[in-house]
Amino acid sequence: MTRRSVLTAALVLIVGVLAPAILAAADPAGVITNLGNRALEVLGKNVPPAQRVARFQELFRQDFDVPGIARFVLGRYWKNATSEQQEEFVKLFQDYIALVYSSQLAAYSGETLKVIGSRADSEGAVVASEIIRPTGSPPVKVEWRLTDQHGSYKIRDVAVDGISMAVTQRSEFASVIQRNGGQVQGLIAMLREKTGSAPGR
Amino acid sequence: MNLLPLRLVFPHMLLLLALMLPGCAPRPGNQQPGVAEEEDFNDPLEDTNRAIFDFNQIVDRNVLVPVAKTYRTVLPDPVRDSLHDFLNNLRAPLNFVNDTLQGDFKRAGQTFARFALNSTVGVGGLIDVAGRWGQLPYREQDLGITLGVWGIPEGPYIVVPVLGPSTPRDLGGQVAEGFGDPWNLLVTGNPWTLYWIPFVRGGVSGIDQRSRYIETLADIERTSLDYYATIRSLYRQRRAALIRGERENLPPPASFSRIDTPAAAVAGMNLAPRRALVSEAPNFSEVRW
Repeated sequence: MTRRSVLTAALVLIVGVLAPAILAAADPAGVITNLGNRALEVLGKNVPPAQRVARFQELFRQDFDVPGIARFVLGRYWKNATSEQQEEFVKLFQDYIALVYSSQLAAYSGETLKVIGSRADSEGAVVASEIIRPTGSPPVKVEWRLTDQHGSYKIRDVAVDGISMAVTQRSEFASVIQRNGGQVQGLIAMLREKTGSAPGR
Repeated sequence: MNLLPLRLVFPHMLLLLALMLPGCAPRPGNQQPGVAEEEDFNDPLEDTNRAIFDFNQIVDRNVLVPVAKTYRTVLPDPVRDSLHDFLNNLRAPLNFVNDTLQGDFKRAGQTFARFALNSTVGVGGLIDVAGRWGQLPYREQDLGITLGVWGIPEGPYIVVPVLGPSTPRDLGGQVAEGFGDPWNLLVTGNPWTLYWIPFVRGGVSGIDQRSRYIETLADIERTSLDYYATIRSLYRQRRAALIRGERENLPPPASFSRIDTPAAAVAGMNLAPRRALVSEAPNFSEVRW
């Protein structure tokens, strides 16, 4: 084998075998399709609630830009929080999100996620999808906003019928903090209580 | 005084009341050194709003939800669906006017076609023929949306007793629609015996709406840290999304057309005119992260 043919073989290998894998990871629509498939597997109606929360957390950590979302939902208070508070908040936030959405997703059975298309935006991509309901009622429009992290996409927000989950969460957290005299600690205490976490866990 | 249905007059009086109320009391302790500046919720009447919200919650728990649950248990699905379709069909004249006011003549035509079809073939609106078989689904529409499409700001958040979350723009729209609704005009000019009709319509409409969100709202209330704040955000975003949806319904600027995946082309759906989701959400437009 000549050196050139070795090089060609290597190229063929890269293009033919590796490229699709790389492209799949770099395709925002693919990320969402994949998430939809896995979500159906792990969050189905037959899954016991305790497992559902754990599995949701796993999906959340894998596919979502958790640090970015945590920072966004804390808004202007992120900078005012100490690094310990920030760290605890990120942890509590994940538990809290799992609590909120795993129970809402529990109501789903027989729904399918259909990816409709995607487009690039300033921070990555937006993927449009629909949740098709088995009852025949009109599909729910879900838009996923993804951030491009060095070629791999992570979800930074989900909008259901135009309502952004991140914005809703952020608005609620800001209200809680303000009603606690502007202290992030007040929010942390409430999150601990809601998620049943011990302080300083 | 002209005896208009309470449903119409009540919010009207509240609007006046809200406008007469002096600027709100200062918010509880903040502005300590080192504490971040407040998020602006555009909710100057928050203390009053929260009190009304609490009152509404009591009414909701003790009256609306039990009635909605009974409604859902007693009446079979097809009957409730028919009633829902019927109520939607009654909104057609107002929706037609709103479509027109928004300059969306295509939609106005569709609304007209829906009304004509459903009122006849659909047995007075009891069967949504146009939506089920004619690819002309019902779309939410009201004067508040029209005003929004025209660029009129929503104004501060207000919570209306019993009716719930609103804004001066949306409430004003509701009041004006109450006065302008041909069905209401039809009965106000008539003998006293017909005055109850808009009340019943309003009541049944409310129960129909509430019965659709029993579990969803219970879930949100159970898991949220500040239910009031969550509802406030959801309401505003929902309204903003409806207005955005109507704006995008109009011919989009060409510069936005771009489809990234073959799937979009296959589905024949041009997502192009959609803007960033957060960008029009109130109070957060400046945020970048």
